[in-house]
Amino acid sequence: MTLLAIRGLTKNFGPVEILKGVDLEVNKGEVVSIIGASGSGKTTLLRCVNLLEDFNGGEIVLDGVAIGYTGAGSARRRLGERELARQRAMTGMVFQSFNLFPHLTALGNVMLGLTKVRHMAKREAQQLAMSWLARVGLDDRATHLPSQLSGGQQQRVAIARALAMDPKLVLLDEITSALDPELVGEVLNTIKLLAKEGTTMLIVTHEMRFARDVAHRTIFMDGGLIAEQGPSAKLFRNPKNARLKEFLKRANM
Amino acid sequence: MEHFLHELWIARWALAQGLLLTVEISAASILCGSLIGLLAGIGLTYGKWPLRLPIRAAVDSIRGIPVLVLILASFYLLTFAGINLTAVESGLFALSIFCGAHMGEIIRGALQSIPVTQIDAGRAIGLTFPKILIYVLIPQAMRQIMPVWVNTGAELVKASTLLSVIGTGELLLRTQEIVGRNFMTLEFYALCGFLYFLINSVIERLGKFASRRFALQ
Repeated sequence: MTLLAIRGLTKNFGPVEILKGVDLEVNKGEVVSIIGASGSGKTTLLRCVNLLEDFNGGEIVLDGVAIGYTGAGSARRRLGERELARQRAMTGMVFQSFNLFPHLTALGNVMLGLTKVRHMAKREAQQLAMSWLARVGLDDRATHLPSQLSGGQQQRVAIARALAMDPKLVLLDEITSALDPELVGEVLNTIKLLAKEGTTMLIVTHEMRFARDVAHRTIFMDGGLIAEQGPSAKLFRNPKNARLKEFLKRANM
Repeated sequence: MEHFLHELWIARWALAQGLLLTVEISAASILCGSLIGLLAGIGLTYGKWPLRLPIRAAVDSIRGIPVLVLILASFYLLTFAGINLTAVESGLFALSIFCGAHMGEIIRGALQSIPVTQIDAGRAIGLTFPKILIYVLIPQAMRQIMPVWVNTGAELVKASTLLSVIGTGELLLRTQEIVGRNFMTLEFYALCGFLYFLINSVIERLGKFASRRFALQ
């Protein structure tokens, strides 16, 4: 079953065309990783799916609903803040720089969306947040502020914060890039666990081995387009696109 | 000394009234001013230019005008616009917009120092922008605003003495009236100064207490 369908997605920053017509489908329960050089449009693609960026053309259909815009052609309008917020809550996003709320504890970070977006009672929200912190192995750090946690721990809190909202689709944007090498493992193990449980994920990553081992399918983006895609094992073993071959060689794959 | 205490006893109600009015006007204008400043600061930081431009113009002009001129203008000029305010009301108005302009600039600075990635993070969990402001941005800005806010409050208490020129019966004007009766210039002005010092040290204490509450452990 198709959960996410992106059709002909285009996006400009001023005169610069970042996405030049991206088509991508993601099935429910599928883990898809996106690789490619910096500036190829990977992060922008994720941000468009989470409606953090507007886009100029094409459509994004999430669980059967075209998101972000209403109408077509000259009648095409960006949805209002309230509706955008409601649609954003259907996807969860984890950022490269964690972006935890520094004034809230680990528990507070996970609870905020539960109480203010999902309108759960405080006690119920607290229980759910604690169970998510336990799943990322941080229930003993619940009362710590982000500044009192290591980078890896902060990123795991961010994962708990996104997952606790029960999103249909989880977007991971280079979530290990800002981490010290010895902290990368704990974060990737958390993601592996989620993949095993059938969480649908779209993962932008520079960790080639992780993409190969965890993602069912890998997308190679180049110059704002999908240049090659296929089952991860096959794509890494037998790349066809010349740029992809070069890219993988540089990444020592 | 006995003579001073005797005069003080006679003047006790006038002084108390003046002190009370000073505290009331200061508190009310800090409150109104902070509210105006909050709205102005949010508009300046996140508003599009049709909103930002008029706020910027208003904030810059008010900040460029001496408080005394603001007070005189709101007492004498608003009448021409058909708005008749009493001395207390026009004083309150002038001090509120004075405080609002300064707080607007302070709050803009505090909000702008918060990385935009915080807004992304709020949006990503489905918060609308007003909720992001309330639960994410303003609490973080508060930590920076608190110390400056206390300063502005103390400045405002001192600026309220200027209301004596339009006949608001606050502490300074009452003191002047008392001195006019008993000619004990040194004693009563010293007492007046001490009372202002007292008010501001209370504000400072409150500020320190509040700063601790908003500080990160």
